[in-house]
Amino acid sequence: MKMDRRTFIKAVGVLGASLFLQTYKSDLAKALELSETKVLWFHGVECTGCSISMLDGGTPDIVELLQYLNLNLLYQEVLMMQQGIFVDGKPANTSDLNSELLLDEILENEKDYVFISEGGVPNGPDGTGKYLVLGGRTYKEIYEKAAKSASVIIAIGQCATNSGVNAAKSDVKELLDHRGIAFTMEDSSKGIIDLLGIDKPVININGCPAHPDWVFLTISAVVLGKIKVPDDLPYVLDRWNRPKVFFPPDHVIHDNCPRRGYYDRGELDLTVGGPNCLWKLGCKGPYTHADCATRHWNGHQSFCPQAGSPCIGCVQPGFPDSTRPFFVESEDAGIVGTHLDTVAGVAIGGALLAAGAHAIRRTVLKKPVDKEESAEENISEKTGGEK
Amino acid sequence: MVQVTIDPLSRIEGHYRINTEVDEDGVITDAQSNALLFRGFEKFLLNQDPRDAALLTQRICGVCPVCHSIAAANALDELFGVIEEVPKDALVMRNIHQGFNFIASHAAHIYILWGPDLANPAYHNILMQYGEMGNAVWGELAGRFMPIVNQFNGIRYPAGSSYLGAIREQRHMHDAISLVAGKMPHSVLQHVGGVVYSPTIADINELVAYVEKTAEFVEAFTLGVSPDTWIENTYKASSPQKAVNFVLERLQELLDNSLVSNDFSHSSGWGDVPLFAAFGSELVGEQLLGLPISMKMDRAGVYPDPDKIGFLSYGVFFKPENGDGYDPTSPADERVIPSGYMNGNLELEEFDYRIISESITHSFYIDEEEDRSPWNGVTVPEGDPDKIDYTKGSESRYSWAKAPNYGGIPCEVGPLARLMIMGEPLTTGLVQTFQENGYSPVNNYTRMIARMQEVLVVMSELMKWILQDLEPDAKVAVHTDLSMAKDSTGMGLWEAPRGALGHWIATGSDSMVTLYQAVVPSTWNLAPRNSQGIPGPVEQALIGTKISAAENALGVDYANPLGILHTGRSYDPCLACAVHTIDRTGKHPGHTIRVL
Repeated sequence: MKMDRRTFIKAVGVLGASLFLQTYKSDLAKALELSETKVLWFHGVECTGCSISMLDGGTPDIVELLQYLNLNLLYQEVLMMQQGIFVDGKPANTSDLNSELLLDEILENEKDYVFISEGGVPNGPDGTGKYLVLGGRTYKEIYEKAAKSASVIIAIGQCATNSGVNAAKSDVKELLDHRGIAFTMEDSSKGIIDLLGIDKPVININGCPAHPDWVFLTISAVVLGKIKVPDDLPYVLDRWNRPKVFFPPDHVIHDNCPRRGYYDRGELDLTVGGPNCLWKLGCKGPYTHADCATRHWNGHQSFCPQAGSPCIGCVQPGFPDSTRPFFVESEDAGIVGTHLDTVAGVAIGGALLAAGAHAIRRTVLKKPVDKEESAEENISEKTGGEK
Repeated sequence: MVQVTIDPLSRIEGHYRINTEVDEDGVITDAQSNALLFRGFEKFLLNQDPRDAALLTQRICGVCPVCHSIAAANALDELFGVIEEVPKDALVMRNIHQGFNFIASHAAHIYILWGPDLANPAYHNILMQYGEMGNAVWGELAGRFMPIVNQFNGIRYPAGSSYLGAIREQRHMHDAISLVAGKMPHSVLQHVGGVVYSPTIADINELVAYVEKTAEFVEAFTLGVSPDTWIENTYKASSPQKAVNFVLERLQELLDNSLVSNDFSHSSGWGDVPLFAAFGSELVGEQLLGLPISMKMDRAGVYPDPDKIGFLSYGVFFKPENGDGYDPTSPADERVIPSGYMNGNLELEEFDYRIISESITHSFYIDEEEDRSPWNGVTVPEGDPDKIDYTKGSESRYSWAKAPNYGGIPCEVGPLARLMIMGEPLTTGLVQTFQENGYSPVNNYTRMIARMQEVLVVMSELMKWILQDLEPDAKVAVHTDLSMAKDSTGMGLWEAPRGALGHWIATGSDSMVTLYQAVVPSTWNLAPRNSQGIPGPVEQALIGTKISAAENALGVDYANPLGILHTGRSYDPCLACAVHTIDRTGKHPGHTIRVL
């Protein structure tokens, strides 16, 4: 089904221009001829924050995305009319109202759709997947069927990409066995599709939550053929299957942080609420690969360190274990070289060294005053030593 | 007897099932509320730096993360012993952060999650019996509330205008939060001892602009009158009766204008609230306004036995005039929306946080004790897959949610409970009106009207906090270091958009976490039976009500159980919130309740 030109022009008129139009201006003519792309969107072990984040998207917004790319969203728990309805244990009504019948029709008839995975997949207890049962079936079972017929799986958010908080260190972690799609924490052998033996290309859009631009522009690129799946994937994705354009291997958040100038002058905040660099408060910006500092969030206006919070590395594989404690300087936490990306470690080493030299001469530390001396020593020691 | 099951109940946060037994007259005779997912949450806070809690616990829920970060920050303030020094401007920032999220979360629930049920085909069939007027009203319902994914007889309809508008407004509210809190969901503002960002004068002006922008949507779509006019005549009305009269007069006026033309459009003044207020209720619509038809939502979602239900609010939004610091036990005069407990007969009682406990008798957990206080909470999840079975009925274990109790009584939490306890004039007046006319005062209709009203209440307070109370570039945090959390405890009582939220934390000699527990709103509302066998609020609200649209107006239709959907969704279910784990006592010493 081709997108009708008149409808398209009308939609653009009503909704107004957007960054999406600028980005894909030359592809507009092509978009008009796009055939319908079917999209399946599942929710597993998660908080629905990624769905909410997608509703917060503005360039394009979710409705523009669906219209411009002629996407047919077949199933999405938050945005659909249907729900599972059973009468005396048997599915009732029709797929117009019954999501379980809709799901069966999709699983039976559809293939080669874009499969958006939000949330992880429970494997516990004992591999049964019974920690999430929907309509009498385990999510694991439904997931397996859906994933087998997909053309590409786009995992959105930390729970789907790496299992995120659900797989954080705890004494029930092994029992629950919540899995990411292609990775669990940093382990690519533990993803659910590996466990189920499903060989499908996976694109990971990390983040807690994922940024709507990252997701929508990735979908756009795939649907418009800008990224050919699977042929182009080895070149456009990093070793965690993340698009390099949004998660640049050679750049970190620290590079473009608006507080960077304070860092270079050695003006480091020791308590929250101040205007200076957040390094001493545990900022993971120097180790975190994402374009947050240039793209910004929610209408492109701010991001965590700009609003006074140390970056907690929520896009990093292994989050939160690899980046907590959040408010302790990374070297003090003893995690450099174990979890954090070594490329970033090397890159930032030089910067730290330079800043350290400045800091010795020029550190202007804010309150509390009694910490001034030891903080200065720390900086020179750390930068001069380990790196 | 017919078994009707909704599994999953979609358009909520999380994964939820409702199972019912229905008799041949279409009356629900038994119900079980099942939380379907076990996630495991507080466990990974154990033995960790307590300061991470404000950022990590908000990841319990992506719809209302802000309340978790504030409840955690409140608990940390006490844990670190700085609760009396938290700067006033930090408290105002917490109010603003939470205020924007209340509006965004309510907008998401009313329009995106709950609204689409108004466009259910059952209402098409019911309304079409009433000629032009029915036709016009159905056109409005479908045109406003149709969700993005829908089909009728295989045909897809465009998403509703109000629905799409609400997505936009939620986005604006989140943009506003992001401005001062980095990003949304999972913003980063909250921290022990205050907040991490002090807004500039430019930020303050921008925040005002965001509220103004949403006020425009509210005027054009939600209310059909300016929010100021509405608030002056309801929230700020001199008596509950005056507030109700204002709304009834407004509805009568709209109706008089539309009866000839059958024009119920936004442009003729029928905002979404008036449309629902008139057609949602049998009492208001049919009896007071003389409409031929209504959705009869005031007949469902009621509690038959006042001895088995209560209403609870922990209180939310600090009073800026109280200056620095606050009382962690949240007594009524400390918060803008106060703490309080109201019994099933709607009598206000003094709130005592010490009598909160949770039962696991009907939940998939293993423990020798059936009831425990949050300070001594234990959660050992069922690990035997054969024992995880939702289908064995009310006498069995059937949910991953526990059953919280206040002095042994299950409680409804959320906007209706809060505004009744607050004595908000419109809510109080409505509840009284229902009572006086022989209706149950608490029902699906009053529950939804209270949620709509709370958006407006919070909007007006939000404007005050931004314009009057917030100082630019003020001090927003007191200094803390980890050693201050040694061998300590803290409690954070707050309100999520969907109800009472408490976080409890304890630390050991190394200042690391030894106990963390969150008792959350959807665990209250969607609880299974407690240890005395008393059904949870949503179960009580289902039993005795009818299964199909508008009190079985078109007969009994087991295959389209709108009655269950309306009642279940009227609580704004948020399941990720309700399923989590807590500390097991074996590994950590028992906790003594501190009497403050």
